[in-house]
Amino acid sequence: MSEGTGPDGREQGAATATADTAPPRPEEPAGTPDDPAGAAPPRAEEPAGTPPAPEDPAGAAPPRPPAGTARGLAALRGPAALALAPLLVAAALWLWSLSRIGFRSIDEFGLLDRFPVSFYASLVVLTLGFVLTLRRAGTAPAWPAVYSVAMLFALKAPPAILYDTVRYAWASKHDAIITRLLAEGTVHPGAELTGGMSAYDQWPGFFALDAALVRAFGVEAAASFINWAPVVLGLLTLPLLLLVYRTFSDDWRLVWTAVWIFQLANWVGQDYLSPQGFSYLLYLTVLAVVVRHFVRPGSAGPLRDRAFLDPAAAAVPPATTARRRAVAVVLLVPVVAAVNASHQLTPLMLCMTLAALCLTRRYRNLGLLAVSGALMLAWYLTMGRELFLGTLATLREKLGDLLGNSRPGFAGDPTGPGPELVGNANVLMILVLGGLAVAAVLLRRRLARSALPLILAAGASAPLVAVNDYGGEMIFRVYLFGLPGAAFFAAAAIVPAAGAASRAALAARRAAVVALPLALVAMLAGFLPSYYGKEGMHYVQPGEIELTRRAFDRAPEGALVLAATGAFTDAYYRYDRYERWFFTEQEVDENLRMLKDPAGYLAGGIPAGRPAYVILTPTQAEAVIGEGYLPPGGFATLTDSLKKSPLFAVVEESRFGVVLRYRPTTTG
Amino acid sequence: MARPRLTTPLARSRAALAASGWVALAVTALPGGSPLRWIPVLAFVGLAPGLALLLPRPAAPRPGAGLELFAFAAPLSLSLATLTATGLFLAAAFSVGAFLGILAGFVTVAALLPGVPLPAAGSGPEEPGPDARPAGTAFRFRERGRDGTG
Repeated sequence: MSEGTGPDGREQGAATATADTAPPRPEEPAGTPDDPAGAAPPRAEEPAGTPPAPEDPAGAAPPRPPAGTARGLAALRGPAALALAPLLVAAALWLWSLSRIGFRSIDEFGLLDRFPVSFYASLVVLTLGFVLTLRRAGTAPAWPAVYSVAMLFALKAPPAILYDTVRYAWASKHDAIITRLLAEGTVHPGAELTGGMSAYDQWPGFFALDAALVRAFGVEAAASFINWAPVVLGLLTLPLLLLVYRTFSDDWRLVWTAVWIFQLANWVGQDYLSPQGFSYLLYLTVLAVVVRHFVRPGSAGPLRDRAFLDPAAAAVPPATTARRRAVAVVLLVPVVAAVNASHQLTPLMLCMTLAALCLTRRYRNLGLLAVSGALMLAWYLTMGRELFLGTLATLREKLGDLLGNSRPGFAGDPTGPGPELVGNANVLMILVLGGLAVAAVLLRRRLARSALPLILAAGASAPLVAVNDYGGEMIFRVYLFGLPGAAFFAAAAIVPAAGAASRAALAARRAAVVALPLALVAMLAGFLPSYYGKEGMHYVQPGEIELTRRAFDRAPEGALVLAATGAFTDAYYRYDRYERWFFTEQEVDENLRMLKDPAGYLAGGIPAGRPAYVILTPTQAEAVIGEGYLPPGGFATLTDSLKKSPLFAVVEESRFGVVLRYRPTTTG
Repeated sequence: MARPRLTTPLARSRAALAASGWVALAVTALPGGSPLRWIPVLAFVGLAPGLALLLPRPAAPRPGAGLELFAFAAPLSLSLATLTATGLFLAAAFSVGAFLGILAGFVTVAALLPGVPLPAAGSGPEEPGPDARPAGTAFRFRERGRDGTG
């Protein structure tokens, strides 16, 4: 990379000194014809020694009101009423909607047709209110913050408030892992558990934390707080994103729009109570510390020269000495170690990101990369040895299989109108986000150059698609790790720079008046199907959970428990006592063969002499359609066939599902 | 660094941090699930260890330090809590008392130690140079060109 090299190709020590002595850019007038509200990024520097304002934590808001709480109040005064009104209207609509969300009668479109119109209205009002506050983001950055938190809460709190059971099958699986850890009091990284469950003993960090919290809170299980994870993780992620974006832009409008877009584009469902959700938070922490505190001396080049920078770009942060960077590495060691203790893939993503950042002279921190790599290898070769070596063994098979590794899930395309809508919304979201981001990178070259580390970080994990499919999830993980950079540049595409006076810049700013709210509403429209379109798989009636637990409790230890898919709550209940067979989680062709004689097919897979039970629930019916395992009607065919078969006896049946026991004696 | 006096706001914050862990430990005697129990425990586990490392900072902070403190304290705290809990479970020695006790001890010690020049706690110029300012002078994050001399 040549970013630290000046136009003449020389190292930038001297060039930086030139930039150092450049006079500060004068304060722009508060209102210009193109920026009537004065939202343009502030330019003037303040005298050294001015204390930072709490509501301007990244240290860039220009007019500095007095001290203390007065500053906070001042930020909310003035045109505050205009900013407050949409918030109050949205809050009223949202609260009114909450009790009217029909989550107990979810049909094929998830919650989409169960949200009342007023719920959608509240989100649109929040979006428009946010856009309004952006006009004064330079002087009152607290308001976009308030709206961002409100949107996070409005989007992700309803399940936490309403649901009486654990949302999402995988969250329930993690609840089961925490429960087992508490029961055992330790982990067994060398023990073999079926269904890949040993991996959770090999990377137990996040579960150990949750188990400790369960005991310290004095609650029965993680289920009591599990549904709040998306809100909490979102709240903790927000200031980190803010720090990262503020490092690359002085324009608060761009920064907050990027944060907003990140929230809407984060639909991949990795924010539940999960090691990857937690590790992602820690990954962002490392990224934020690095971009802000690991700038090498003499590496900024022209990137502190206002004449060179995009009007919205921020100058490269102050450089740090090797000693201070070493101290920062020490500070980051527990964070990186916690990532390694918690999740298999994130340490690799982190190392790849740090390696990609080393391609820039600014962030060539080989020490941090070496420490992160050493921690990763240490964990892989000790606690995670078995899975690591097993994965290495499959690499030859998976390596280079780009199509196979990037395929989401195991099976075919989702079937049914709801899942199809979700699939289309996902693709559209990716196209819109990617299209906007690429457009900004191409059209705002100077911003792309100063924010090059974000581009590198966004693309750093992409090569992993060529290596492994990670159980059908690799493509989602690559998307997730690319999201911070993609959201920043997508925002740059719809928030044109203030200040530039060219005809194109004027046209861009006029277009943005319409394009910005339209784009944000469109992304909101994409988020909702992606996040809530398959809610039939994610909300489970208490009766269904009771039926599932009764079925497991009824089975003797060591029994084989069959279910169409593992994507149902409590599928992993007491998972160390039973073996599981989720029999539709395979290629579609094989499932079509199975549907011709389900009872015979299943009986053929049950080891002789093994007690076996089949659990079929409404959530599984949703999941096999949503994941594309079975064709429409396939689940009903399967259920009817098993019930009629002499090979299986119905043990329990209700609207919450059916439990069957295998009767090998009748097989003759 | 001079020994902090409890009369300063910083010293009071550090004393409160040091006490918070023992308070969290004490409230575990309350009935399980009570808000009087889980709120102090969550606040302590989720914030105190990170704050104890980041808060003791000398002199005036540089701009951005407030948000950094806010943003980094929770992930750092949760990381330390994760490592503590993992270590205890690996040693088959987990108990609430051990978990909170270790963290409370760590926070107490960290809060008593003098300020560590961690990045988020930093102040003054980032690197020595001809334009280095006197210690304790606040540093504007956006201010350009103070570091490029190295």
